[in-house]
Amino acid sequence: MTRIFWGIGRKLGSAALSLAILITLTFVLVHVAPGSPVYQILGPKASPASIRELNHALGLDLPFWQQYFRWWFDLAHARLGYSYSVQRPVGSLILSYELNTLALQIISLVASLLIAFALGLAHGVHYDRTLGRVIGGLELALYALPSFFSGTLLILFFSMRLGWFPAGGLENLRLAHQTIASNALHMALPCVTIVLLTVPALSRYFAQSVHEELGRDYVRSAAARGASPSRILVHHVIRNAMRPLVTVLGLSLPSIFAGGVVVETVFAYPGLGWLLWRSALAQDYPVLIGIVLVIGILTVLGNLLADIANTLLDPRAAYA
Amino acid sequence: MTGSGVVLSLRHLGVELAGRDGHGVAPVLEDLDLEVREGEMTALVGESGSGKTIAALAVMRLLPPGARITGHALFAGEDLLTLDERRMRARRGSVGMVFQNPLSALNPSMTIGRQVAEGHRLHTGANAGAARRHAIELLGEVGIPDPARRLDEFPHQFSGGQRQRVMIAAALACNPKLLIADEPTTGLDPLVARQILDLLARLQRDHRMGLLFITHDLSLVERHAQRLCVLYAGRSVEWGEAPAFFAHPRHPYSHALLAAVPRLGQASLRGIAGTMPDPGHRPPGCRFAPRCPRRQEVCTQGYPPSVGDGRTEAACLFPLEDIPVAAPLAAASPVAAAPGAARTPGSALLQLQSVTIRYGDRGGLPGGRKAVVAPSLDAVSLELARGECLGIVGESGSGKSTLGRAILHMLKYEGRILLDGRALGDLSTGDRRRERRRVQVVFQDPRESLNPRLRIGAIIAEALQLGGQHDRDSLRRQTAALLERVGLNAALAARLPNAISGGQAQRVAVARALAARPDIIVLDEPTSALDVSTQAMLLNLLRDLSRDEHLAYVMISHDIAAIAWLADRIAVLRAGRIVELAPTDQLVNHPRDPYSASLVASAPRLAGAPVTVPGEV
Amino acid sequence: MLDETRSLDATRADLPVRIGASSILARLLRLSGGNATLTTGLVIAALILLASSIGPVLYGRDPFALHTASVLAAPDGRYPFGTDDLGRNAFARLLVAGRSTLYVALPATLVAFTVGTLYGLASGLGPRLLDQALMRLLDAVLALPGLVVLIFFGAIVPLNTGSLILLLGLISWPSLARLVRNETLAQRDRDFVHASRQLGGGLAHIAGTHLLRVMAPVLVVNFTFLVGDMIFALSALSFLGLGVQPPHTSWGGLLQEGLDLVALDAWWLIVPPGLMIFAAMLATSLIGQGLLARGGTR
Repeated sequence: MTRIFWGIGRKLGSAALSLAILITLTFVLVHVAPGSPVYQILGPKASPASIRELNHALGLDLPFWQQYFRWWFDLAHARLGYSYSVQRPVGSLILSYELNTLALQIISLVASLLIAFALGLAHGVHYDRTLGRVIGGLELALYALPSFFSGTLLILFFSMRLGWFPAGGLENLRLAHQTIASNALHMALPCVTIVLLTVPALSRYFAQSVHEELGRDYVRSAAARGASPSRILVHHVIRNAMRPLVTVLGLSLPSIFAGGVVVETVFAYPGLGWLLWRSALAQDYPVLIGIVLVIGILTVLGNLLADIANTLLDPRAAYA
Repeated sequence: MTGSGVVLSLRHLGVELAGRDGHGVAPVLEDLDLEVREGEMTALVGESGSGKTIAALAVMRLLPPGARITGHALFAGEDLLTLDERRMRARRGSVGMVFQNPLSALNPSMTIGRQVAEGHRLHTGANAGAARRHAIELLGEVGIPDPARRLDEFPHQFSGGQRQRVMIAAALACNPKLLIADEPTTGLDPLVARQILDLLARLQRDHRMGLLFITHDLSLVERHAQRLCVLYAGRSVEWGEAPAFFAHPRHPYSHALLAAVPRLGQASLRGIAGTMPDPGHRPPGCRFAPRCPRRQEVCTQGYPPSVGDGRTEAACLFPLEDIPVAAPLAAASPVAAAPGAARTPGSALLQLQSVTIRYGDRGGLPGGRKAVVAPSLDAVSLELARGECLGIVGESGSGKSTLGRAILHMLKYEGRILLDGRALGDLSTGDRRRERRRVQVVFQDPRESLNPRLRIGAIIAEALQLGGQHDRDSLRRQTAALLERVGLNAALAARLPNAISGGQAQRVAVARALAARPDIIVLDEPTSALDVSTQAMLLNLLRDLSRDEHLAYVMISHDIAAIAWLADRIAVLRAGRIVELAPTDQLVNHPRDPYSASLVASAPRLAGAPVTVPGEV
Repeated sequence: MLDETRSLDATRADLPVRIGASSILARLLRLSGGNATLTTGLVIAALILLASSIGPVLYGRDPFALHTASVLAAPDGRYPFGTDDLGRNAFARLLVAGRSTLYVALPATLVAFTVGTLYGLASGLGPRLLDQALMRLLDAVLALPGLVVLIFFGAIVPLNTGSLILLLGLISWPSLARLVRNETLAQRDRDFVHASRQLGGGLAHIAGTHLLRVMAPVLVVNFTFLVGDMIFALSALSFLGLGVQPPHTSWGGLLQEGLDLVALDAWWLIVPPGLMIFAAMLATSLIGQGLLARGGTR
């Protein structure tokens, strides 16, 4: 048991280190960004005096290392600065969009996992047979389908031609006049797009892993004891095949988030990704940096969870 | 044929499998007749590729889909091959099976208790509590100490021998009438292998089971088997009662196989030239004919009919008369004595002075590379003279490979390792490289030791190029000469490693070592990955090379008989310490340390060769 | 690579291949596995390369000419893929969009591949402390979704062909670096490497003669996957307006214009560029999978 805690403790330490490097990286990003924020805020006609004043107010006249410590200090107090474009504190701005993103991502991820599990299991069990090859081909095709294309097609067909779903226009999930039904309608197509994006890789990976496990010696010895194929699958194979899936899920979190950025933009869904895009077009650095940080932190945490889940799933990791 | 007490009777069993490229099918097993009787052990013996495992899987109906099985497998009067899948599953309780490599044959994420109980629950419908009690009982019977506690542990928490005991317990769960054991001792240390074999023999007597024991090692079944069958390239070449077989093998292949196993006290070792043909490329007529010393034209015209006296029979047109398998060693071996006598203190080629390696020091940093887990060494001191062969024998975990790797400077160590009185660490970088080339290595797995993407010629040329030679013509000539030196055709230079046999690959590794013109070659289990017939060929080659080139060897192995055949002196290593270091003759015949005595006792020995055990002297 | 495919197919033709009753179906299904995968991928890739390189010259119509008389025309004989809202020939624009997409994506792949391989080798072969440092840095970089970082930099650097190549190349290497590093660690303790060291081989010799050679199949497969990733990343970036800048256009940019006009139901502006990205990514996937199946690597 102590080994498990040791293992988890080590992973926590490693995640903390990743975060520290990440925060340092974002600091460097801010300082390599061309165009001074002062220029952005005051505009081209500012007087040298007001520029000096604002520089001082923002701490930009301090030595580099002092600015670095200030960066940590501000982050520790959740001060991410002000948005140039909408004149709101970055923290609260991100928070109001982040919940929309989390709702969309969590629903899509759960749906993706269920579908990938079923599809991957069928693919893995029928690996070299017709069904497996059909699913394999489907996975390959879906994998090559970019989300902005599938999303656009969904809008073209289901929103424009059939008029079943709105093609965007959601302001915020938590606004009073929004009903659950209307939220669901707004989220349906983005959800489907994310599922189409996430399922093929996960399913293919799970299939591979099921196929490999089915070829292992312990499967043969279970069969030699008289266990039926379904019993072997349920009692022996699935648990072992799940382990690499958890790892790859943790590793693919960044790309799942990144996929969300594009999907949110296609559907004008008011989430972090959409905010990131708007801020990029408006060159709103504080918001950009804030979002990069938040997404980085979420990914590090996600990876950590996957690592811990794996430690608990694999008896060897705990004792080895 | 189905007399009383016959548990399993195979008749004309044949198996065809899809070829490796997925096109067409090739017969891998043909026309096998075999009987297993109640309370008896029948051994099915063959080298890898002979079809012995396929036969077992065919009986259990565990072959991959696409396999075509012909013939009959009668078990308790029923043909297992004609049962539907459901009824076959029910039979699998009364036929137990133990597989090779117990670690992979056990589910890594399921407690051993559940795996042992699984068969019992499936076949008797027992509830969890009853199955658990039964599992505890079984684990106790196979010799797992404190079974009630260990029931809830996972396979990786057990040692290799214990895992195999767990596998046996799981196979016994439903009181089988027949137990099939497929190479159950391969990969285990000789002492542990012996124990597992004794356990199986005891269980088979106590439970009145029939035991079908599948192995590549004839010496293993000599003590226990009542009957046996020797397979070669998918056909049985000789079968019958075991004692009669060992006393007088009829088939040239059986004879050669017996002569190829190194035994203590043996004067000559003969391998079998050539390799076993793959399925689909087997010759017409007798399969062994191309490698057979007694081959005649008629041998290739049809599979030979069987001849024999009812106790043993062989499928051979020219069976052997009474020829002794191997001659005992003459009293004083001149080979063993000469280098030992030439050794004088201070002139040692290689010296190890209290070499110590501690692995506790190498704790992994967070998220870092896994520390190389290897046993430690405790103040090992050794000397090796020019032209001498020093054998290092020990079980896995004894530190023998660690010692080899220390000599090769692959590991960091405390103490000193001196070559001609100089330590490598004291030299400049260029000299160090040159000195390093004087000690070469041949590893256990010939596939691993050759880069799979380099041609054989390039592999040997690399060794020459790193020695500073770059002239293409000269490289080609020397490569060809080296290949011929180790008994290979120079045309092999154009092949990739996976296009040659394991024995050939090991010879290439020897040629590569020779290319550096070394003084010492470290042989790390050089024969254990090879088939019996090839092993002997390699041992003979190594012996010839050491005589001709005045090479010194450090040979590391768990196989004391193979070491004894080559070595002038043997060091017995246990838990990182040398417990005995003595001339071969003395160690093999009069071991002083009780542990080396037990190692010597577990090794195959030529009948009549004497041994004294400490305490009896 | 093409030669090997051909010779493999030739050997297969020599074998007596039995084709069942539903032979067409069986053949179609075989496309998803084995050698046919590789062949299909190579054919699609070749078509895309041809269309994007010499396609604009062969077709010869001006992609920038404004045909104001036929704005938003549906596909017909005159405009095979219709026209956009400014009356530009959509087919001509599709061909030049392919050219500018590949002009950026292929060199960027080379940059990422080189950086990733060198980084991975250095980490896997270097001293333990260096490995630790490089891996920590890599973990932090990998925690950032590449596309998010791309959008960030897309917002702050001036976008042109050169900067896009560097941007995409310098941001897409980390996962390859990790793969190469793990592969290096898996290979560096193999017996043939030890044998080479014992013969006096230095680190550079071992990396060049042994490691890269053994890893070659894995590297080739991952290079093709990297090409696909790069085409996707560039298309996504262009779709977001942060990639290839006007007057040049790319598949992603064309798709964005199509989405802007989605209310007008101009499907001919959406489907062709989307299909081109799909086909390019499918081709790299098929080639990669085909190589994997053929080499039996991993």
